[in-house]
Amino acid sequence: MEHVLIIGGGVGGALAHDLALRGFRVTLVEKGELLSGTTGRHHGLLHSGARYVLHDTAAARECWEENQILRRIAPQAIEPNGGLFVAVDEEDLSFRERFLSSCRDADIPAREIPVAQALALVPALNPEVKAALRVPDAAMDAWRLALPFFATARANGAVIRPYCEVTALVLKGNTVAGARIVDHRTGRSEEIGADLVVNAGGPWAGRIAALAGVQVPVQPAPGVMVSVAGRLSQMVVNRLHPAGEGDIIVPQRRLSILGTTAWLADDPDRVTAPTEHVRRLFDLCAQLLPAVRTMPPHAVWSASRPLLLSGQSRDPFAISRTFDCFDHARRDRVEGLVTLIGGKATTLRAMAEKSADLICRKTGRDSVCRTRETVLLPYRRYWP
Amino acid sequence: MEEKEKQIGQTPTRRIDFKISRFKPGLIDPPRFQTYSVEVNAAMTVLDCLEQIRLTLDPGLVYRHSCHHSACGTCACIVNGSERLACLTRVWDLESRTVILEPLRGFARIADLAVDMTGFYRDIQAEWEVLRPAEPLAGGGDGGGALRLENCIECGACVSVCPAAAAQPGFMGPAALAAVHNQMQKAHADERAALLARAAAPDGAPMCERALACSRVCPTGVYPARHIADLRRLM
Repeated sequence: MEHVLIIGGGVGGALAHDLALRGFRVTLVEKGELLSGTTGRHHGLLHSGARYVLHDTAAARECWEENQILRRIAPQAIEPNGGLFVAVDEEDLSFRERFLSSCRDADIPAREIPVAQALALVPALNPEVKAALRVPDAAMDAWRLALPFFATARANGAVIRPYCEVTALVLKGNTVAGARIVDHRTGRSEEIGADLVVNAGGPWAGRIAALAGVQVPVQPAPGVMVSVAGRLSQMVVNRLHPAGEGDIIVPQRRLSILGTTAWLADDPDRVTAPTEHVRRLFDLCAQLLPAVRTMPPHAVWSASRPLLLSGQSRDPFAISRTFDCFDHARRDRVEGLVTLIGGKATTLRAMAEKSADLICRKTGRDSVCRTRETVLLPYRRYWP
Repeated sequence: MEEKEKQIGQTPTRRIDFKISRFKPGLIDPPRFQTYSVEVNAAMTVLDCLEQIRLTLDPGLVYRHSCHHSACGTCACIVNGSERLACLTRVWDLESRTVILEPLRGFARIADLAVDMTGFYRDIQAEWEVLRPAEPLAGGGDGGGALRLENCIECGACVSVCPAAAAQPGFMGPAALAAVHNQMQKAHADERAALLARAAAPDGAPMCERALACSRVCPTGVYPARHIADLRRLM
């Protein structure tokens, strides 16, 4: 079978798993620790899809499907306690009917519950909320949700190489035939030959593509997250409003995570968390759970989303969270290179499935995806 | 800290020297310290500084990190002599112009600050439950059947600091003993007895020297020493 080299240890892990199940020889390289870029670094929401129903039914529907699949194949690190969307003011309330009907359109089971019931479920909830809708959100440990893909891929023969950074793509004429890497564990450089290279660099995908002289429509969009010490709710609490800043609190262990802000950046390596963003998160999230206001930050961090630019929008919250997979042979007449862009942690398995389908079409292989029903190994099996 | 704060834009910073233990098998071998100087503001953590060093000074610096908020447990290392999570350690709070970073002890070293966690899982079964019933919330209501993830993020800090683990490499260690005790709360009676027998084996709780260092360094309040004491009472 063909040897596929995957660049990027985030969603690439799910692709390594999918391709290994389909019988490909797989090598994955990641410049740092696995999941250290975007996929391990988010606020920990396992989306029900409800966040997207108001502007992106396709993304919403896909999230709910994947939410159910992940609960089956990777149940170990999911806190399955549901979520609420609450209306804080009259404007929020004006979205209620559209939200509920859009959830129905996307087959997401959402229903309104009395505010008194919401307050009983989440005693820390702002007592002034005007409406509460229940959705099947969940919270996850980002590292332990994604690591089982790597563990299973490795058990099925994939070679997983963290700390190996791509420095060049090996070009033979118009064909990408592998990559040159430096293994930061030893400082040594080497060439890895491949029949196909997959660029799964997330917000860094533009840099990888540039090594082959092609451009890809990826827009790094960093966001800030803050955790506070204290589990304020069993359920995820969202603001009933089109996606925006400071509209979610995700419980996890004995922490609560406030999310998020977003801006568009040229450099995915931004490590800054501007103090005004932190202040805004506290102000906005205190409208959901007032106790947040007096809690000191436990950790403040940021991560770059890899948004797929398709329309004209420059609003980071309006740009779709859907995902696309490009065959550069068709797009740029560069053979041997496929790029994945967009998506989100909740849909990592679906992104892998679509990419692996494309790789099968490209290589003329007729093998079906088996990741929907294949229960993953426990994450601890990553260590043999 | 004595050094005067320097103003960069709106944010005061201090120049801090990071003295990092470097090791790359066959290249930087034996290990040696290398110093990097970073302008650090009040909000920056040791992990933020490692990221900055990698991005601006040395792309070959190897360390582990993922979630940046004490959920994944990957970034534990020894900061000025103490086991800590790099992501939770604000540099200014260390009150030192020099920050010395070393990898955890008791694990095989991959490179620089990165260690191989295989040994950590030797006595922790992969299938043991990571979820537990959530405590009731402040302000009323019971847990309502809610589940949450265990406190232990498997960072290895307790194993690194444990004097008994250092002296006796066969020792199960504090994290595995705490995991055994947690698993006992979730297991059926017959499995409980087997778990207790595992903890009571010569390489289990009897090897613990009651130094309590594990509980002192645990960044998520697992207090492994308490679990070991509880196990001893059951034996």
